[in-house]
This record gives sequence, structure tokens and C-alpha cells, in this order.
Amino acid sequence: MQLYDPTVTGPERNHVRATALDSLEGMTIGILENGKLNASEMLHEIAALFEQRHSCTIAPVQSKNNASAPAPGETLEALARDADFLITGLGD
Amino acid sequence: MSLNAARTHEVEDDLLAAMDYCYEQGWTDGLPVVPPDMKRVEEMLLFKGRPAETVLACHPATGLECTVHAAAVNAVMAGCKPEFFPVLIAAFEAMNEPNFNFHGSTASTGGSAPLLVVSGPMIDDIGMNADVNLFGPGNRANATIGRAVRLILLNVFRMTPGLSDKSTQGNPGKYSFCIAERARDNPWPLLVEDQNYPEGVSSVTVFAGGGFCNVENHGGNTPEQVLGSIADAMANYGSITLGQSVVVLSPEHMRVVAGTGWSKRQVQEYLFSHASRTVEGMRSVGKFRQRDYDQQHNEGGSSPLVETGKIHRGLSPDDILVVMGGGDAGGHSCFIPSWSRGRASIMQSKSIGVCIDCD
Repeated sequence: MQLYDPTVTGPERNHVRATALDSLEGMTIGILENGKLNASEMLHEIAALFEQRHSCTIAPVQSKNNASAPAPGETLEALARDADFLITGLGD
Repeated sequence: MSLNAARTHEVEDDLLAAMDYCYEQGWTDGLPVVPPDMKRVEEMLLFKGRPAETVLACHPATGLECTVHAAAVNAVMAGCKPEFFPVLIAAFEAMNEPNFNFHGSTASTGGSAPLLVVSGPMIDDIGMNADVNLFGPGNRANATIGRAVRLILLNVFRMTPGLSDKSTQGNPGKYSFCIAERARDNPWPLLVEDQNYPEGVSSVTVFAGGGFCNVENHGGNTPEQVLGSIADAMANYGSITLGQSVVVLSPEHMRVVAGTGWSKRQVQEYLFSHASRTVEGMRSVGKFRQRDYDQQHNEGGSSPLVETGKIHRGLSPDDILVVMGGGDAGGHSCFIPSWSRGRASIMQSKSIGVCIDCD
């Protein structure tokens, strides 16, 4: 008996890690919050620690309108433009 | 993917052994599947009339694609007859609409299952059940079309429980969640008519459902009494959000409601008005969010039925899909809450087996 395979193979993708920063001192930190309960509060608390400890500047917060969908390309482009590094996380 | 390019497995010519092989490969939903024998798959494909490599849906995060061929393989495994296949195809075309967000609704802790509501003459053509035990077992079309949806999510899109499907508790509809709208003795225009499809066309509507809530009311003899109990279920603190709703009225409840001349629109408006909680009440259970309130009460854009100081379920009466279904006897309707707490998934519909305004 010959069976068809019910699964499919995924596209080939090149995943590359971003180059690590040499130092966090004086860098600009970006925040991507997903819009869920407490996400913004939690991420701002964390960003404030970077501000205190490493003299970081906090970039304008970017929010997702839909927590469960990938961030739109223009959101990611704005973050890449405005921030040297980024923190994100889930609310709830 | 052409048929020749599809991957195949040679197994011994023994049905039970082939079923065990499917288990060993991790291809099942926990129940035995029909081994996807090549001949059966090809028979399934004859019922679609589109190239097997046609892409029906694409996962936005992984890039995995569901072709007509992959859908056919999983439809065979679910136990579908070939004549059911166009419903499954249309369902995935609907789920592939960006606003349905099938990635989010299937990956989330919320435990969503895609509810399929089929409306129109196709129901009788393929023998779907719109009657007694609507959501229960016993009908091959309802059971296997819904099951095929889950098998595609598992096998094609790899929404694997514990890995990419993080449902905290899930819900039984994740095995199969497919119903037909009852046309017999239905006093209202059917869903497919409301959707403005041409006469003779059937539709499937997909909704990321968060579960199933039975609404029992055998004592209510007025529309307000029956609908009041449904609105109360919709507004329970565990369910109330800005998300959409599906309400399936039982024929007995329908006789009470429509028997006094109420239209579907009146029912939607009544439910929207009464499925609400006060701001204080929402605060008392820790579920009040100012941004939700502002979204519902925005100046100039909110429904005129929105009351100051209250949170309603959904944004307007249009967010409540009302259909009739079930057996003649019993004061049992149901409310199905959205998985989405807001607008993360919006229900979608597609015509079945015909192409209307296609690209």
C-alpha cells in the first residue's frame, strides 16, 4: 500500500542572529509591546532599569494592534531605525 | 506540488498495520485515521477541479503552505467522502483571510477551535446534519469535515499541542467543530442569503470559537425571556469581551422569538443591548480596561446601543451571528464565545465550490 505523506516541507530560510552590541552604555532601547494587559507597564519597568544602570535612552514605544499576529513590517522598520536594541514580551 | 512530487510511504498491504503506521508517524489527532492511500486521495482531488498544487492557505509565521493536494490527503485521513471536499477547501480559503488570523487562534493559550457554519443547499446535497444533536456525533459530513480542519492544522501547519499549540485547556471542538444551519421551519432568511451570495450557492463561515455554552430556558415564553437568558450567558464574567459571538437558536426558542414577529436584526440588537456589564462590575473581577471601554464608546463611531458606564459584548449587533439549528424539542440554544478578546480574529465566509469575485 502506498500512502501520501500528509505533512509538507517548509521553505528554506536563513535565520541570522543580530551582531551583539559591544556595550549597552548610552544606547537607545526600543520597546515592542503586544497590547495585552500589563505588557506596557512591565516593559517600561524593565526599560527604566536600562536607563538607570546603563544611561540608555528609551525610544518611542511601538505597540501591536493584534497581540497574536506578527508585528507589521513598518513597525519593525521603525524600531530598527530608532533603537539600537529591543525588548519585547507578552502581557497578561 | 504536483502529485508526482508528493512524498509517499510504502507500507505493508494491511489496513490495521497502515493505521498503526499513521500513529507512529505522528499524523493523527489521537483517534485512528484512514490511511491516505493514493487512490483515495486522487478520488478526493477529482471533486475540486483545481490543480493539486494550488495554495489554499499560508502560515504567516512559518511560511508553511497548504495545497489542495495536502488538504485532500488529510481529508481522506479524517474520513471525508470526496463530495465533502469543497466545503473543506472553502473553509481554509476563509481561514486564510488575514483578519481571521488562524495562526494566532490556533497557537494561543485560549484553546480556540475553528467553528464551521455551513449554510445553503449544499447541506442536503452532502447529507450534513442541521437537526437533532447538532454539535454531537452521528453524522459523517459534520464530523469528518471538522476533523479534517484539525488534521490540516496538525499535519500541514504543525500546530502541535505543547509546541506550537499552547492551549491551556483546549476544548472538545478541537477534534471537530462543524455544523449546518437548519433551513427546515426556519422563519428567517438563511445566513447564506444574508451574505448576499447568489441563489443556489452555499457558504461556509469560519469563527475562532472559544468553547460551547449551553443556554437552557424551558420557562421563557416571550422573546425577552428567552433572549434575556442568552444575553446573560454572553455577558458572563468569564466570557465578556469585545469579541464576536455565535448564537445558535434551537427551533423551540426560535418559535418563541420569531413567532411573535421578531426579526433576526431585532434579536441581534436585543442581545447586544443586554449582553453587558457595568464598569464597576468589570472592575470587581479585574477585567476592566480603559482602552476597551474607549474603543467601544468612541465618539461618533460606536453603536447607538452602547450605554455609558457599561461594557457590551462585541462592538455592535453585527458582531453577533445568529442562526437556527438543532432538534425540534428542547429549550436548549447555545452561545459560542470568540477566542479573541477583541478584534484579533474576525469571522469570515466563502462560497463553496464556486468562485465569486475571485482574483
